[in-house]
Order: sequence, then structure tokens, then C-alpha cells
Amino acid sequence: MRNPLHKRLPRELLHEGGKYAVIFLFLAGMIAFVSGFLVASDSMIVAYNDSFEKYNIEDGNLEFSASPDSTVLRELEEAGALTLYPNPYKEEDTAEVDSTLRIFPDRSEIDLVCLMEGAIPAADGEIAIDRMYADNNDLHVGDTLTLNKTAYTVTGLVALSDYSALYQSPTDMMFDAVKFGVAVVTPEQFKKIRDTHLHYSYGWIYDTAPGSDAAAKDRADDFLEDIKDILTKRAEAQAKEAEEEITAMVMRGEDPSGYEMPEILTIENYIPAYSNQAIVFTGEDLGDDQTMFVVFLYIIVAIIAFVFAVTTANTLVKESGVIGTLRASGYTRGELVRHYMTVPVAVTLLAAALGNIIGYAFFVEPMAGIYYKSYSLTTYVTLWNAGAFLKTTVVPVILMILINFLVLQSKMKISPMDFMRGNLTPNRKKKSFRLHTAIPILTRFRLRIIFQNIPGYITMALGIFLGNFILLFGMALGPFLTHYGDTIADHMIASHQYVLKTPEDTNKETAERYCMTSLKTVSDLRQPESATIYGIEKDSRYLTISPSEGQVTISSAYAQKFRLAEGDTVTLKEPYGDKTYDFTVGEVLYYPASIAVFLPSEDFREVFDWEEDAYTGYFSEEELTDIDDDSIAAVITADDLTKTSRQLLVSMGSVATIFQIFSVTVFILMIYLLSKIIIEKNSQAISMTKILGYSGAEISGLYIAATSIIAVLAMVATIPLCNTLMGTVMQEAMAAYPGWIEYYVDPIIFVKMFLLGLGAYLIVVLLLWIKIRHVPMADALKNRE
Amino acid sequence: MFLEISNIRKSYGEGESRTEVLKGIDLSIEKGEICVLLGPSGSGKSTLLNIIGGIDGADDGYIAINGEKTADMKERALTRYRRKHLGYIFQMYNLIPNLNIKENVEVGAYLSDKPLDTDEILRTLGLYEHRHKLPSQLSGGQQQRTAIGRAIVKNPDILLCDEPTGALDYTTSKEILTLIEDVNRKYGSTIIMVTHNAAFADMADRVVKLRDGQIRKNTVNTVKKSAAELDW
Repeated sequence: MRNPLHKRLPRELLHEGGKYAVIFLFLAGMIAFVSGFLVASDSMIVAYNDSFEKYNIEDGNLEFSASPDSTVLRELEEAGALTLYPNPYKEEDTAEVDSTLRIFPDRSEIDLVCLMEGAIPAADGEIAIDRMYADNNDLHVGDTLTLNKTAYTVTGLVALSDYSALYQSPTDMMFDAVKFGVAVVTPEQFKKIRDTHLHYSYGWIYDTAPGSDAAAKDRADDFLEDIKDILTKRAEAQAKEAEEEITAMVMRGEDPSGYEMPEILTIENYIPAYSNQAIVFTGEDLGDDQTMFVVFLYIIVAIIAFVFAVTTANTLVKESGVIGTLRASGYTRGELVRHYMTVPVAVTLLAAALGNIIGYAFFVEPMAGIYYKSYSLTTYVTLWNAGAFLKTTVVPVILMILINFLVLQSKMKISPMDFMRGNLTPNRKKKSFRLHTAIPILTRFRLRIIFQNIPGYITMALGIFLGNFILLFGMALGPFLTHYGDTIADHMIASHQYVLKTPEDTNKETAERYCMTSLKTVSDLRQPESATIYGIEKDSRYLTISPSEGQVTISSAYAQKFRLAEGDTVTLKEPYGDKTYDFTVGEVLYYPASIAVFLPSEDFREVFDWEEDAYTGYFSEEELTDIDDDSIAAVITADDLTKTSRQLLVSMGSVATIFQIFSVTVFILMIYLLSKIIIEKNSQAISMTKILGYSGAEISGLYIAATSIIAVLAMVATIPLCNTLMGTVMQEAMAAYPGWIEYYVDPIIFVKMFLLGLGAYLIVVLLLWIKIRHVPMADALKNRE
Repeated sequence: MFLEISNIRKSYGEGESRTEVLKGIDLSIEKGEICVLLGPSGSGKSTLLNIIGGIDGADDGYIAINGEKTADMKERALTRYRRKHLGYIFQMYNLIPNLNIKENVEVGAYLSDKPLDTDEILRTLGLYEHRHKLPSQLSGGQQQRTAIGRAIVKNPDILLCDEPTGALDYTTSKEILTLIEDVNRKYGSTIIMVTHNAAFADMADRVVKLRDGQIRKNTVNTVKKSAAELDW
């Protein structure tokens, strides 16, 4: 025979319909969101992983200072057991939008192009641009883009398989799909574009693919050594040849100054695929996001499980007489535990089932949309995902069963007699602690309510903490990124920073020479990354540095990220060599834009063995129009330095609103459910106070005020806690990227958070007030069994 | 006439399952009287008490205290009426479990403009030593005494007692009845006590016997016994 107690379950569901409906909808919504996200994300991961083979993505790429001859290429291919494919590109600024396009000739062998819309260019004057770059700049098929005064028609929107994240440079902290894009044109058209910004780039594919990242790293390290050897030998041979030629010229009585030295071939860039952010960042981020969302779901489920547990514990008190009788009649503890667990578990199971259906049906596409907003991904197909089902259904149900089981099992341990006597804590010595009688009775009353309901209030405070954490994320992210962008713009060394290919003088008075090189950080704390070393002129008009002799100034970004202070020693090494440099930090300069070291120019030239008058470029307040465009390698502006915050704003902007709505829902739900339990638990006392003649306002003052005190205290107290935690989480998250974003929250955000929390709470107060009003006086007349 | 009960009718349920619990009750109670409402289960005595107490409404008729009719009162006025005039004692003491004994009594004192001294009440009730304990730490008799303390501390005009000894043993019951009697004597409160124990009738000034929602007998005792003398 089926347990007749089960007949209660539908009635229980109906009786507490409102509460269960709210929890059900919240859980279903949450699960739909996460399930949709996981399915989209996993389908994306499959599409992304398959893209390596499907689009023949490179194992790495390198860039030469000049066009290499076929001998060098052949030697490199043999040494590395690989094939090199030319993959040159040119960069041009766009006239219609403020951006730079990296243009490739259409590819047929390596890093193939996925057409998302329109057509691949087939003639001169046609161009296909990256789909996400197009979205961000509101460009469409059929639009016109002007590059260096030549107009192109956009024929298609594409995804380049080696640019799923639009990193302009591997040293960039973040990709930039707003002001940087990639494009393809026909090979014929490519040739016609000026060579001013031509990059001799080659991609390679190993003859036999390395089995793992570690093996890939070893191969790449070995290949780099091979390149260095081959190019050094070539340079030595060229130098020897030149020396012989010059000697011959002298012998022949000719003027050797007319001899044109052969160009020394060097490598400008070397990026194995495993470390190429443009290729791997997307894959890593897809996985990371999944972990974050799943952990988030589990925290919510655990908190709701505790809400259920507190509710059930309350029911046990109400039904203690019945439970005692049932136990005395022979019902086992297990039967009763299962009985009381059924509703929470059933609600979770149904919510998970519905959530999954909704997730699959309606959320996959919008979630994929979030990824398409951030990444230039190739096309994907939605795949049935057992993992997502496990994570969003099986695990939450198990979590719900486990938490409720543990709580109920411990509550059910007492004897049937104790249940019948309503003595649910027989082992705990009942003792009333004293409150000073000078405290007014109503205040003591409130304090007693708080002490009586500590487990409920702790769960509520946890819920508020969680709500505040999500709220802080939702509210602070935008201003945090904007603030970062603004701070960087405010603290730029100069509004224009020119990097020159070859030294060239300027007549502009405000222009000031500087030296610059790039090294790699060496630290036990963080992954190696690129650091910029500046040589600053004495009495510079742009930057005042005053480190003691033999010491250097470091940027605040460097100090914060690597936890450095004055007196510490920083070690840096050559990016493609073994030479290391040790500097003692003499001062920390507030410069949040990058990991940078500043030295007086004289020291710089001495340390790096530069000529006495060598320099890299100019700092300038105005544009330097008298320098030939061909001599300029790059102009660093505020846009370049703020690309991280700009891209994060684009990627996360829509998510922020979702987070805000979600957190307010969490607030209302948590506070309402738990304070409702407190009111139900005290319904007899409330009823009695009504009979005694307490007014509705007085009773609300007692029961709502107690909850209000805790809710408001929890809101206020958890804000700084959330801020500290968010600071730590954000800094650690940011530390994984090159560069540094200083954590900052505008204090007004805290005020807004509190007000929003308070607003949510006022809704709850209204609901509670109605609830208290409806507690019948008859409750006090019922004889408790 | 202090308390006037006129043609009170009350039914529960709808249609065929409608049960008329009170079928036109007329009763007058003088100030300072001890009135015992006697009757078997289902006679309507508790319902009548709840209507007098303003926690249940009548379908017809009215209750007037000093000429003030409760039927005309809105919820707020009813609350004021209970606050000003009434004290309540139930069979199940209905103490607030998370307040200690003294605080439970203070909850009553708070409602009055002229409350009695809480400590004195606690001493009178023999609860002073237990004042810092929680209700669950006390015996049934002690809890009922606390409930009496809570009811009388505000010095009510009428003390409504619904089976006040229903959950207590013989000796404790007599102690509680003696206390109620003392309250009546000392503070002049009108006592209306619902019971099914006919022996209690002997301590009353007025005995009202109810059956099937009607008053079967309304007698005034010319000779009363003290609570201590009762036996059952």
C-alpha cells in the first residue's frame, strides 16, 4: 500500500501554493538560464575545437622584419619539421569609423575564413570584414569602407579562424572588437594596397602535431632556438660577405661608402598558437564562464535548500504532536524524513525539468548571442548536452536532497515522546538569557524574536550577501570600466605617443624624445608578461620621475599587480633571449595604463647598450604632421590604452542589467520567504497579541521591525564584505590577463545598492504586513496537541 | 447593567452543513460579578465568550459594555475595546514562547494606561523566582498563572476565562480558581468563566447553563463557596 501520508503532498503544495510557485519559477528561470548557457557554450566549444581542423588553424605564426628568401624559409621548415605559409597583412585606418583594419589576402591553405553573411570578395574594390567588428560599428553588407582614400564595398561578413578574439597584439590585455577588425580582400587587391604597413607574417603547421600543450611548448621553444641560430648564421654570413666585398672594393680603389649593406633579417613577432590570445582566449573563456555560472547555480540551489530546510523545520514544530503520534504508531524515521523531503525535492525536480526545456527551447540562441557579441566565432550547431543536464538537473536535485536530508535527519532524531510533548530540542538545556529590564518591553520583544530565529536570519543574511554580491557586480562593472578608461586617459604620458621605425626629426617644440623597449616580467607571483621600459629625458615636460641613482620608477599597475613596493627588486628578461635585468624600485608612479618601468634616458641607453642619441619616438601634445607616415610604426593614443575597458563594456554591458534584475529578485525572494516563515512560526503569538489588544501597527512593529533590523543590518554589513570579496575576485581574475585594471568602485554605487536593496525590502514589508493582518485570532484559540 | 448581551446568534458553515451554534442569547452581567457559563461540549459557551471578547463576530444581536456596542465597532475600535476592557485566559496558556515569564506579563502591562505593578503581580502569583525563565521551563500550573498575570496586570474590567483549568490537575486547578477569585475580590474585575465542570458553579455569583446554543438556566447564587471549598 502506498504511504497514505503522500495524500497530504498535493494539499501541502496547494496550501503553500504561493511560496512554492515563487520558488519554482525562480529555480526554473535560473536553471533555464544556466542550462541554455551551458548548451550554447558547449555547442560553441565543440564548434571552436572542431574549427582547428575544419579551418586548418595554424600551430603558430612569426613575423620577419623583411621578406625572407626561399632558402631561409626552407631551412626553417626543415629545422622545425613544419610547413610555413605566407600570411601577410597590411593595416589601414578606416575613414567611416574610428578603427584600424588588418587586411589579409583571402586564404586558401591556412587559417581559413568562415563566411557568415554575404560573399567573399571576388574583385577589386571588394572587402569582407569581421562579423563582430561590423556589428560593433554598425556596418553591413553593401556598405562602403574607405581605406587610405580607396573605397571598398563590404561584400560579406566573415570570421577568421585565427581571430576568434580580436587581439590586435598578443601583448594586449584584452581584445578590441570595436576599434580593431580583420578583413579579407582578393590577393590581387591586396597587392594594390600600399606597403607602408605591410607585415611579413607567416603561419606554420607542424608535420606531426604535438600531443599536448607541454609538447607544443617544447616544440615552439626549440623552433625559436632554431630560428635564432639560422638567422644569426645568416647575419654572420651576410656580415662576412659584406666585409669581403668592402675589402674588395677598397682593394679595387672604389669608395666603400657606396656599398649597400644587406638587410639583416630578424623576427619581429613569434607566437605559438597555444599562447596566441587571438586563438586560445575564446576557448579558455568559454570554459571559465561555465564554471562561474555552474558554481553560481549551486550556491543559489544550496541557499534555496536551506530555505526549504528552515521551512520544514518550522513545519516539524507545528506538527510535532502528529509526528510523535505517527512515530509511536510505528512509522519509521526514514518514512517521515522522506515524507517531509518530498515537496522540496519534487519542486526542484519539476523546476529543473521545466528549466531545461525552456533553456533548450528559448535560451540557447540568446546565450550564444552573448558569445557572438564578444567573440568572432564561426558557425555552431546546437548539440544535446548530457553534461548540462547533469549540472542543471541531477546535481541541484542531489544538493536539495542532501541538505534537506541532513537537516531533517538531525531534527527527527528525538524520541516520539519528545515530539508529542513538543520538546524538539531535548538535549539542549533550555535557558532564557536575561535582557535588562531598563530596555523597553517592545524592544526586548523584538530582540527575543531575533534570537529565536537566528538560523532563519543567518540564511536570510546569506541570501542578502549573495544578492548584494550580484548587485555589486551588476552595478559596479560599467562605472568601474568607465572609470578605468577615464583614469588612463587622464594619466597618459602625452596625448600622442609616436613609435618610429626609423629616427626622424620634428620641428614641433612640444615633441620630446623617449626611448622604449619591451621585456618580459619574471615573477613567482604571476605569469610572465610584457613590460614596457621607458627612457625619459632629463627634466621631461611629460613625466617627472626622480628615482635615486641606480634605481628605477615603476608604474602603479606594475606595483599593484606584482605586489611591489619601494626597495624591492624587479627582474625582467628579454622576450626572445635569455638576458635578464634586475632593477631596484626607487619609486612608484601613478600610471595605471600598463606594466611599465621608467628610467632616465641616459641610464636606459647605458643599460640596453644603445647609442648615445638613440631614441624610439616622441611624446607630443599635438599631432606631428612633419613626420613621414612611412617612418611611423605606431601612434599610441588613449584609444589604444582603453581598449580593454571598452571591449569589456561591450561584452558585459547587457549582462550587467540581467545581474541587477536577478539580484533584486534574490533579495525579495530570500527576505520574503524567510520572514514569512518567522511570521508563520509565531502565528499563535501574533494571534494572542491581537487578542490582548495590540494594534496591527504595534504587531507589525514587533515582527516586521525585527526582520527589518536584520535585513537592513545585513544589507549594510554585507556591502563592504562584498566589496572586499569582489575586489579580490576581480583582481585575481584580472591578473590572468596581461596588464592591470585597478579595482575601483565609486562610493555612490554603495549608496545606490543600499537604496535598491531597501526598495526591494519595502515590497517585502508590504507583503509581510498583509500576511500579519491575515493571521486569524482563532489561531490562539486552537488547542495545541 | 454593566455587560449586556442581546439576542446573539451565530452559525457556522453554509447550506445544508450550516450549524447554528448560538440561537439568540440574552444575558446581563453586573460589574464585579463572577459569571460561570456552564455547558457540555458544543453548547456554544466558548463561541459566546469569543463574541464577548470581540475576537469573533455575531450574525445577529449585540454586546454592549457600559452601553457601548461592539457590533458597531470597526476593527481598530474593537482592538481598542479589547485593550481597554478585557483580559483573556485560555485553556492552553498561549504564552509567547520566546519571552521570559516577566516579559510575558509585561506584554500585558504595556497595553494599559494604569497597569498594576508587574513584580507585585509576579509575587502574588508565586512566580517571582521564575521570572527569568521561559514558559517551556515551567509546569502547566505555573504557565497558567503567568497567563493570569498577563491578563490581570492591565487591570481589565472583564476577565474572560475559557476552560482555564482544562489542562491542569485537581490541586493546581483549585489554586488557579483561587487566584481568579482573588483577582475578582482584590481588583473588582468582572469574571466570565467558561467551563464544563459543574462544580465551578458554586463559586459564581451568576451561573448560566447553556445547551444547544440556548440558555437553559440563568441563576444567581445567594450563597457562594470559596474556590478552596470546591470539590469534584
